Amino acid sequence: MPFRPSDAALPLTPISFEILLALTDGDLHGYAILQHVDARTSGVLPMRTGTLYRALARLEEAELIELVENVPGVRSTDERRRYYRITARGREIARAEAKRLADQVAAARARKLLSEPHDR
Amino acid sequence: MIARLYRSCLRLYPRRFRDRFGDDMTRVFDARLERARSRGRLFALAFGVFALADVLASGMRERFGTHSRLDDRPTRRISMRSDSWLADARYALRVLRRSPATTTASVLAIALGLGASGAIFAAVDHVLLRPLPYASADQLVMVWSNNTHEGRDRNPVSPADSIDFRQRAASFVDLQPILSFLVADQYVDGAAPDTIRSCSVGAGMFRLLGRAPAIGRTFDERASAPHEVMLSYAFWQRRYGGDASIVGRRVTISGVPDYTVIGVMPADFVFPYRSMLGPSGVTTSSSADLWVALQFTGGFFVDANGQPTRQARALGLIGRLKPGVTIDVARTDLASVASALAAAYPASNDGWTTTVVPLLDQTVGGLRPALGLLLAGVTVLFLMTLVNVANLRVAQALAREREMALRTALGASRWRLVRQSIVESLVLSTIGGLLGGILLYAGVPLVVAAAPLDMPRLAEIRPDARAFLFGLALTVLAGIIVGSAPALVSIARDLHRSLKDGGRTSTSSLAARRLRASLVTAQIVLAVLLTTASALLARSFLAVMSVDPGFRTERLLTLQINVPARAASAAARVAYYDDLFSRLAAVPGVLAAGGTTRLPLGSTNVTTQIAVEGRDVATPQLPEVEFRRAVGDYLGAMDIPVLRGRTFTVDDGPTAAGVCVINHAAALRLFPSEDPIGRRVRMGNSSQAPWFTIVGVIGDILHGSLEEAPKPELYVTARQNPPVSPFVVVRTSGDPAALADAVRAAIRSIDPLTPIYDMRPMTDIRSASVSERRFLLTLVGVFGALALVLAAVGVYGVMAVVVSERTVEVGVRLALGARPWQIVRLVLSQAGALALGGIALGLAAAFAAAPLMAHSLFGVQARDTATLLTAPAALLLVAIAAAIAPARRAMRVDPIVTLRGE
Repeated sequence: MPFRPSDAALPLTPISFEILLALTDGDLHGYAILQHVDARTSGVLPMRTGTLYRALARLEEAELIELVENVPGVRSTDERRRYYRITARGREIARAEAKRLADQVAAARARKLLSEPHDR
Repeated sequence: MIARLYRSCLRLYPRRFRDRFGDDMTRVFDARLERARSRGRLFALAFGVFALADVLASGMRERFGTHSRLDDRPTRRISMRSDSWLADARYALRVLRRSPATTTASVLAIALGLGASGAIFAAVDHVLLRPLPYASADQLVMVWSNNTHEGRDRNPVSPADSIDFRQRAASFVDLQPILSFLVADQYVDGAAPDTIRSCSVGAGMFRLLGRAPAIGRTFDERASAPHEVMLSYAFWQRRYGGDASIVGRRVTISGVPDYTVIGVMPADFVFPYRSMLGPSGVTTSSSADLWVALQFTGGFFVDANGQPTRQARALGLIGRLKPGVTIDVARTDLASVASALAAAYPASNDGWTTTVVPLLDQTVGGLRPALGLLLAGVTVLFLMTLVNVANLRVAQALAREREMALRTALGASRWRLVRQSIVESLVLSTIGGLLGGILLYAGVPLVVAAAPLDMPRLAEIRPDARAFLFGLALTVLAGIIVGSAPALVSIARDLHRSLKDGGRTSTSSLAARRLRASLVTAQIVLAVLLTTASALLARSFLAVMSVDPGFRTERLLTLQINVPARAASAAARVAYYDDLFSRLAAVPGVLAAGGTTRLPLGSTNVTTQIAVEGRDVATPQLPEVEFRRAVGDYLGAMDIPVLRGRTFTVDDGPTAAGVCVINHAAALRLFPSEDPIGRRVRMGNSSQAPWFTIVGVIGDILHGSLEEAPKPELYVTARQNPPVSPFVVVRTSGDPAALADAVRAAIRSIDPLTPIYDMRPMTDIRSASVSERRFLLTLVGVFGALALVLAAVGVYGVMAVVVSERTVEVGVRLALGARPWQIVRLVLSQAGALALGGIALGLAAAFAAAPLMAHSLFGVQARDTATLLTAPAALLLVAIAAAIAPARRAMRVDPIVTLRGE
């Protein structure tokens, strides 16, 4: 397993993973990504603009996301606003990362590191 | 402001990154800032500071960090090193937090130093260093005629000479003329008329300057563009609200109805700058509202045969050098053309050559001494803040002796300790630097507000990334230098003694104490420099303010008018003035009213050659005097005394013999050993000109500025020679501003459309004429005051340590019967001795540096003894005052407590 091509990008940083997660629902512009991540993690993973864009740059270089200049169907007040879209490879990597995390979580659970919700 | 700073910081990212994400990041930042603002100003400020820190850190990492493709954390090898640097930084933050007072003082000092030097740098950069707003501006030069007879090297050029220069000088791509003064015109387009300033330029000027219009086109050179007009951006906005359909509009300018608006120049286009204009002209205003094409047809541009003249010199020439041609080549080239012209036309051109100066020099060369002085002043201030911070850091280092010794004992290398110290200073500088950035953005508008309104390029000064990075580079450099000072102290530390002594502060070594004392001495030296400079400038300012200009400036209202167009003939104007001044004199509160063609301190100047009857002098060698016309009771309204003979009377009418009066300086120059009354003179250089009899000698007035010696002047009366747009002066019994409406009404009662402009009291004009001096004094004065504060802080710091070190000694003295006041005297005299050392050195430095500011002084010698002694005396008082608190502490020492401690 370690030598599958998509594995070169793994593991993802938490921020990269959050960005990919946010983009699976649809194309977003930078500020919207920030708001999505803030909302989902309720501030646990505080995101700064500089960090976000550096992560976006890395993701784009790795071809996990791409830039789309105009999104049909999205009425934007600002024509120049740039949208980010997850690529097929991005989805594959995100899925692989999710699997990897799930695998780790399962292992943690097996060692009683995580208690099941109904235990409380 | 924060948003602009944020944009500047984005430059830290590599260009490729910035191009891809810069706009987007700005937009996100704006949106988040907007949201933060809705939650209160403090929240917005905090957000701004965090966002700046984030962009700085992430920008540096993006630029300098190596990163794997998806991981924005540094790679392993770097990470080891930066981890320990980071650990140092984290440790530094802890250390700095432990002594909040020292840290706050250091951060504030750094921020202040950066803010002040960055703001001055921004001014110097935008005014002196940046190219003018023209294409390839470094190829542009200004060409003047050089009158070697009168020693005036920047004299306007005659139309015929300008044509010859353009055709014969091979060094230039092109030369284009500009009328060397702006003209106040009436601009009519439907609604109420505007009084505007028009500038006449050669049709090819915009092409020569390499600037395209914002809308429309520029002049058609082949058609030589009669009756075409280009608008300035500001005028277009003010008058038309930026309406683009203005192109093609027919407008009326000064009674000529068929002008067509052909274009509007961009907002950043400024031409001419005030300093590109010649000495003549009736208005000092330099912002042109519109441009018209200059024609050498009619008016004073042509001679009796309708050909371009060589006699009237009223043009500035702008030239563009051919690529690769140096200014020296162009100088030689034009000089040979000029000498050929002098040989061919000796009557007009003998003794005339050319002056060629880079256009940037012509524009801002006059500001160089003042801005240079400010830059020097702010540098001294910056050095003082550095010394201050170094001093505080040394004190901190002494307090941490034991910690350093312990770390050495545990195996820390010396380099490790030095590095720790440097990292601490860098952390300080970074925090101070960010704060300083904010001060910089706040400080530039203050500098601009203090600057004289008519300073060329003032509007172009703005805080930007360049100034911020300049300041930041300075601070980081400073951080390293300042950081090494305490490190050196800790290296010099004797490890065993420090550990044994149990970390009491009483052990600070002789070396460290000497270091601190010499840092304070250095501070005082710098403070002496700044305070003597501000004292000298203050003395100069007072001297200028108390200069007697030769007329009374109080209770004098001044304004300028254009006589109504219907008063076209000389006779009609004489009648108009008779009517006007009798109406003005009838206004309650008016004591006297008159007018002239060139107002002292408030307008430009014009000269004429003069021939004295009975003296045989070749035309080119005729002496020059300043030429004025007096309208109404001008001399009476101004309170200029008649020294000999008489002033003008109603009998000196259009048909009577020509008369004139001259001032004392002219009498001295023209008739050093004769009585001028009754002698006849002729103006201009034509032998056909009429003779004028000198009927009186009047007092000298200062015309150009309060700092120049009076010049020879000659006045004729408007009844024999009526002007068309005179200045009017009204002497009032009370506040002149209160009569503004009544005076305006009296003028408009003759013709309701009379253009009236530049109405202001003479005291305002006088005040404006010293604005550059006030600007220098204000800024250098602020620097001097800050220097005093910094010096006081330095002395206080050292004395506080000295007192705490000598607690035991003081205790012993008190136990042995010393009186508390003797202890106070002991401490104060030690502070005084410390200050005196610095003052002696500072005086020597000030004495040596004084000649550098001689050109900025007036009425006081650069090495004026009184000033050189008073400023340091103030400093000595400040130093002793700063030591009072430590001295009181020493006085209250309880001998029992201190001795028991031993």
